[in-house]
Amino acid sequence: MSETFKLQPLELIDYTLENGLRVVLNPDTAIPVVSMAVYYNVGSRNEREGRTGFAHLFEHMMFQGSENVPKAGHFQHIMKAGGTMNGTTSSERTNYYETLPANQLPLGLWLESDRMRSLAVTQENLDNQREAVKEEKRLRYDNQPYGQIFDLINEMIYKNFANSHSTIGSMEHLDAATVEDVQEFFRVYYAPNNAVLVLSGAFEIEEARAMIETYFGDIPKQNLPPDLDVSEPKEVAATYREWEDKLAPFPAFLIGWKIPQRRSPEFYALYLAGKILYDGESSRLYQKLVKGEESVIQLFGFTDERRGPSSIFVGAIPKPDKDLSKIRETINQEIHDLAAKGPTSEEMEKLENQLVNDAVRLRQSSMARAQAIAEFALYDGDPALVNRELGELLAVKPEHIRNAVGTYLHTENRALLDVVPAGQG
Amino acid sequence: MTTNFRQSPPEALSPIAFDIPRPFRTKLDNGLQVVLFPDERVPLVSYRLAFHYGDANDPKGKTGLTSAIASMLTEGTESYTSRQLAEKIERLGASLSAHSSDDFTVVSASSLSLYATEVLDMLAEALLRPTFPENELDLYRRNTVEHLKFQRSQSSFLAGEQAARLVYGEHPYATVSPNAADVEGLVKEELVEFHAKTFIPNNAILIAVGDVERNEFLKEVQAQFGDWQPETIPECSFAAPPERATRTITIVDRPDSAQSNIVMGNIAIGRTSPDYFPVIVMNQVLGAGASSRVFMNLREEKGYTYGAYTRLNTKKLAGDIEATAEVRNEVTGDSLKEFFYELERIRVDKVGDDELADAQSFLTGVFPIRAETQDGLTNLIVNQHLYGLPADYLETYRSNVDAVTVDDVRAVAEKYIHPDRMAIVIVGDAEQVLPQVESYAETIEVYDTEGNKK
Repeated sequence: MSETFKLQPLELIDYTLENGLRVVLNPDTAIPVVSMAVYYNVGSRNEREGRTGFAHLFEHMMFQGSENVPKAGHFQHIMKAGGTMNGTTSSERTNYYETLPANQLPLGLWLESDRMRSLAVTQENLDNQREAVKEEKRLRYDNQPYGQIFDLINEMIYKNFANSHSTIGSMEHLDAATVEDVQEFFRVYYAPNNAVLVLSGAFEIEEARAMIETYFGDIPKQNLPPDLDVSEPKEVAATYREWEDKLAPFPAFLIGWKIPQRRSPEFYALYLAGKILYDGESSRLYQKLVKGEESVIQLFGFTDERRGPSSIFVGAIPKPDKDLSKIRETINQEIHDLAAKGPTSEEMEKLENQLVNDAVRLRQSSMARAQAIAEFALYDGDPALVNRELGELLAVKPEHIRNAVGTYLHTENRALLDVVPAGQG
Repeated sequence: MTTNFRQSPPEALSPIAFDIPRPFRTKLDNGLQVVLFPDERVPLVSYRLAFHYGDANDPKGKTGLTSAIASMLTEGTESYTSRQLAEKIERLGASLSAHSSDDFTVVSASSLSLYATEVLDMLAEALLRPTFPENELDLYRRNTVEHLKFQRSQSSFLAGEQAARLVYGEHPYATVSPNAADVEGLVKEELVEFHAKTFIPNNAILIAVGDVERNEFLKEVQAQFGDWQPETIPECSFAAPPERATRTITIVDRPDSAQSNIVMGNIAIGRTSPDYFPVIVMNQVLGAGASSRVFMNLREEKGYTYGAYTRLNTKKLAGDIEATAEVRNEVTGDSLKEFFYELERIRVDKVGDDELADAQSFLTGVFPIRAETQDGLTNLIVNQHLYGLPADYLETYRSNVDAVTVDDVRAVAEKYIHPDRMAIVIVGDAEQVLPQVESYAETIEVYDTEGNKK
């Protein structure tokens, strides 16, 4: 099918302002909207001990006003322009993005540049957002059944503090954050030369370039922070933990492996192995466990893609009367089988169609395009990877998958977290 | 250049028009309506075959029947086992699934337009020739019973369940989920019988959006669906939602909760109400987004919550408005106070001209963003057709929003928001919550997470 299908490459204009801000433009006039993504090269991996959760708390502060934009003005300006916006924090980066009617491009540039150059920080706003973040932590983690298991297993998989601690952080570390911490973090990490700006959608290239120069050109560059060491010992060594979850109605388990970094040949192979194992109703583990043995209520798996050591997970919520070790044995058998025989030709055909389908779907949305381009620009210094990644994935051969599974998905070198229901009910 | 240009927001550029593609409409002899929207932006196709028949139409005592039929369509057909069907669809990189909601049942499929015909054929196979194999139905029953238990661990489910019961009374919208006995009572013969009676062409519409050649598509539709026999459309009658006379509080005691999940609501409007546009504008000012009043108050000023909102559930026959937030346990009572302050204020005082303009420009501006992906565009089109909205609905949406006035907003706020008659539901730790909220209602009842009154 790859003979009959050619993906149109995205048009990219890639340049850097004098102050070091990397800019990528992706003009596409299919719909009169424009999306803007600003990615800063700072995530929870940059946090110091005693300040877990700070990068994310800081992200909230970016909505609390700057020299010319009042508190909450960012929300209001974007919404009244008919736009949508948000920001997110991961271990790898902090991003801010908006999608606007195309004619509101100047508004987006004005808002993003104002907070890049002149964030306003007050004690009152910090206290208020600290409370909002604590409620976010309660909402997403503490008050959800199984809500804390991914943070727990990361502590088991990774040995380096930069990788192992959670992005949402701890309540006491959030409490310890000061206005001075916020100002210092802003100075060090929120510099134009530590960021990437991407526009995708309907705009005139020269007009956009001129506006970007006007709004961002005079923001001073800063000395960049030293490179971060995210290296890890290769081994997880078999680790085991039992976690009492007061809100969980059933036992569950989660298995995690440490694997090589994103975009490495091994990562690509394992990403595809994961799709074969747990993605969709035709996947091997769904057919074995949900169907077949009929032993699990829910099966899930995913890869956590990082610039340094990354990870892959498989988890299940078994039926109440089922033997958890037996289910894990089936998972191990499937992994062994994939390592021994590799994927079938039908599985390779499925992967090819799914990868092309995913790539086409991503290209529909100006925001999805902007975010993908921004990641490649920030992590790899090469936004044109957005046009090459599909080819790299399609080039993965069955033997690459077989070898990577055999090398990395050891049963002896994995973290296993057992969730034990511990509620009053 | 001075920095003066930074002091106020810049002027917008000239607006660019956005036109929704024109549909092609036809009808098969068996009554199946067919709508094709050309969308050549990307090499994809999306199909929705939708029935004007949903969970609310389940016969009395058969809650969950329609939902079970929908789920079982992809679990075995005359030519494919469940596994073969999944493998065939996923090998094309495509998707095929069926779901029921209160008012509708929708079979959805999408793929690269390269596989447009194969996927439409698979949709027809699942829809028209399901066999409901005993072993798959048995697995469905057992897995669904476990899912019912699982959803009881989630505060959002528990809050929604109680709010629907209190707001809709004897109306079927009161039931958000079957119970274990309903699911265990599902039998194959009934699925077969109701599938034949209710999944009928003369109560359905097939919508295709995408990069599809019209004549080929119509030929394939005729080939796949032409022989599908029409039946009498089942008659359904529903009890009216109750007229609530007082404000009540219902606490779902969920020990160890880290937050209180608050939902407070009352009956409002259905999707086809003539007040629809004033109500969505009012809701935008009040609580639909991150710059709306309740968010600014409960989160940005008070820091009680990660997000506080009001939302409209506008269904075919009725609807409700709800104010909702998940707040830390200690401020549960204070949060009620702020919600009531905002609910009263929008009823009594006119909203500002600027607030109205901001809400309108959000609703009109965000419209093209929602149509950006094929799925987004398809959803707009499907809703328009299922709710029987006017043919020019999408074209006139923006002017209808812009026509709303501050007086309209106040009138609908007064008409549809009833703080003195609201049903307040709080899922949380009852011991901590009760003393904080006692003063807000004469009647307070406490339930456990199983739905039993304590």
